[in-house]
Amino acid sequence: MNIALTKTPAEQAVPELLDRVGKSLPGGEKAMAGRKQALGRFQSLGLPHRRIEEWKYTDLRNTMKEVLAPRLDGASALAADGLSTALGPLASIEADRIVFVDGVYSAELSSTFESGGDVSVAPLSEALASGLASLTADGADDGQNAVLALNATFVTDGAVISIAEKAELDKPLFVVNVRTTREPSSISVRNMINVGAKAQATIVEVFVAAEGSAASGQANSATEVKAADGAELTHIKCVIDGGQITHLSNWLAEIGTDTTYNGFQFTMGALMARNGINVTYAGTGGKLDMSGAFLARGNEHVDSTLVVDHAVPECESRELFKGVLANRGRGIFQGKVIVRRDAQKTDGKQMAQALMLSPDAEFDSKPELEIYADDVVCGHGSTVAEIDDDLMFYCRSRGIPESVARALLVESFIGEALEKVEHDDLREALRTHAMTWLETTEA
Amino acid sequence: MLEIKDLHVKIEDEDREILKGLSLTVPKGEVHAIMGPNGSGKSTLAYVLAGRDGYEVTSGDILWNGESLLELEPDERAAKGVFLAFQYPMEIPGVAGLTFLRTAANAVRKNRGEAELTTPEFMKMVKEKAAELNIDTEMLKRPVNVGFSGGEKKRSEILQMAMLEPTMCVLDETDSGLDIDALRIVADGVNALRSKDRAMLVITHYQRLLNYIVPDKVHVLSGGQIRRSGDKSLALELEKSGYAEYAGEAA
Repeated sequence: MNIALTKTPAEQAVPELLDRVGKSLPGGEKAMAGRKQALGRFQSLGLPHRRIEEWKYTDLRNTMKEVLAPRLDGASALAADGLSTALGPLASIEADRIVFVDGVYSAELSSTFESGGDVSVAPLSEALASGLASLTADGADDGQNAVLALNATFVTDGAVISIAEKAELDKPLFVVNVRTTREPSSISVRNMINVGAKAQATIVEVFVAAEGSAASGQANSATEVKAADGAELTHIKCVIDGGQITHLSNWLAEIGTDTTYNGFQFTMGALMARNGINVTYAGTGGKLDMSGAFLARGNEHVDSTLVVDHAVPECESRELFKGVLANRGRGIFQGKVIVRRDAQKTDGKQMAQALMLSPDAEFDSKPELEIYADDVVCGHGSTVAEIDDDLMFYCRSRGIPESVARALLVESFIGEALEKVEHDDLREALRTHAMTWLETTEA
Repeated sequence: MLEIKDLHVKIEDEDREILKGLSLTVPKGEVHAIMGPNGSGKSTLAYVLAGRDGYEVTSGDILWNGESLLELEPDERAAKGVFLAFQYPMEIPGVAGLTFLRTAANAVRKNRGEAELTTPEFMKMVKEKAAELNIDTEMLKRPVNVGFSGGEKKRSEILQMAMLEPTMCVLDETDSGLDIDALRIVADGVNALRSKDRAMLVITHYQRLLNYIVPDKVHVLSGGQIRRSGDKSLALELEKSGYAEYAGEAA
């Protein structure tokens, strides 16, 4: 089906925006060639809309009225204590950090990473300037994703992380994005994570807002992951923004033979969030657990859309997504699992669950299993429920007042997803955030 | 003292009456057993005492220490000292047993105007009471009742009871699903809570439990009414003769 669409004002303004801000974007001429190619792709694709199946429930063409300009001059405006305040309960977790303020690397706020060690961490802006990284669509980015094309057009920075073979990180590595501008602005960050064979690492992407920042903003984030044979990577993304932001994200991961990839995405405080996740198995024996917890209230909208491609035999995939929806909050889960003809002995399980705190909330869940192999175990499920009356009575019969019991039961519901986060301090920090959300949510 | 006066109860939105004029008095310091066949209204009585939604009291009253419970919410009743040990304790995934116990214990204390327990006080109390019930505190770090055996769930109920220090305990079919060893542990836990300030109502289908929790009085509930009351020997008699002779009197 081809429908010729006239360009929206937002789409029309994009080339002019690149003309205007291009000079201040990192990477100079070399990167500019890649940006212009990306712009070309974006212009031919346009903003995704509901007639494209993967965007059925999230019509960006309709909802994204403009692409905000990046602000690249605010990096020095944030002090360390301002960052701690923005991070909230996440601040006290012992971790190495690479920090981006309004999408730009901040050396002052970042940990010092020695070169030549087991872990190399550098800002993408440097790699672009030196020509070590490019913005051409290749590999995981097939050039058909308009959000990725937009990301490449305006990319402001990102983390290039490389973990040596057999290295074991003793603490998590945080990739922190903090928003500070008083006027709404955008960031476009692109992370590249390479995990060497048999290495072990926990990488946590965080999106937060500093005190006094604008109530709204846009983030377009892309993370490419390559985890080599036998690696164990835990990859977490936390969107914890007090504002009403648009958060567009893509994870593109390829995992090797006997590689374990545990992904988790926590989303709260986004007016419009779209979390795209693509995982491909490059070798047998790969194990994927991709899970998430999302909280939406007011008119918030959180979309998690997964494509898991079992291209090779004997791999395992697990997905558990749980959402709490209050007021007119809307949650979307689309989980496509492709089991190719050769992918025998595939073991896939998927579950998406929503807890509705209001009759006006909405949850759209769409599992899609495309199975071409004949010797596989694949299952999926989805539930939508209100708070269980029997459990409510059980709690109240123990003297727990209704409001506290309600909070406890929501915690119980979302806690099951949070249990996927193995790092104790991180899990408890997320739980604290979720509880604060709940306490400040009106029924 | 618990006084149930001519209590009539029906299921909400249905015409069928379950309790049809039930009267019963349990003084503090006594343990009374309610025995009866399936469908006699035993569980309904337990739920109505605890204040579960879905039941309508059409007439009669439940007085606890002279005060009617009928208008009180379940958590308010708990604060007044009412505790129901469930026949089928609920599982609460994602909430650690310790969190649940502490939330409940402190909610009840707050409501009773007592000081909330500090973390060390709470942990000391849990450890002591858990040890008496042969419960490993490690188990309480796991989500409430999730993955517990039947015996573990019942012990967990009795631990909750011990922590909340109720004055009126209602035990609904506490023996169901228990092997003899688990039954003994649970009964020991209940017996340890017997005191002159506490009234207990033990609801059971079988006499077996009453070998371990020896009641002061036994009542036969059938057809929504107390048909007969006696001492503990009544339970033994029922064990021999069954409930057949009460069946005809129903309704």
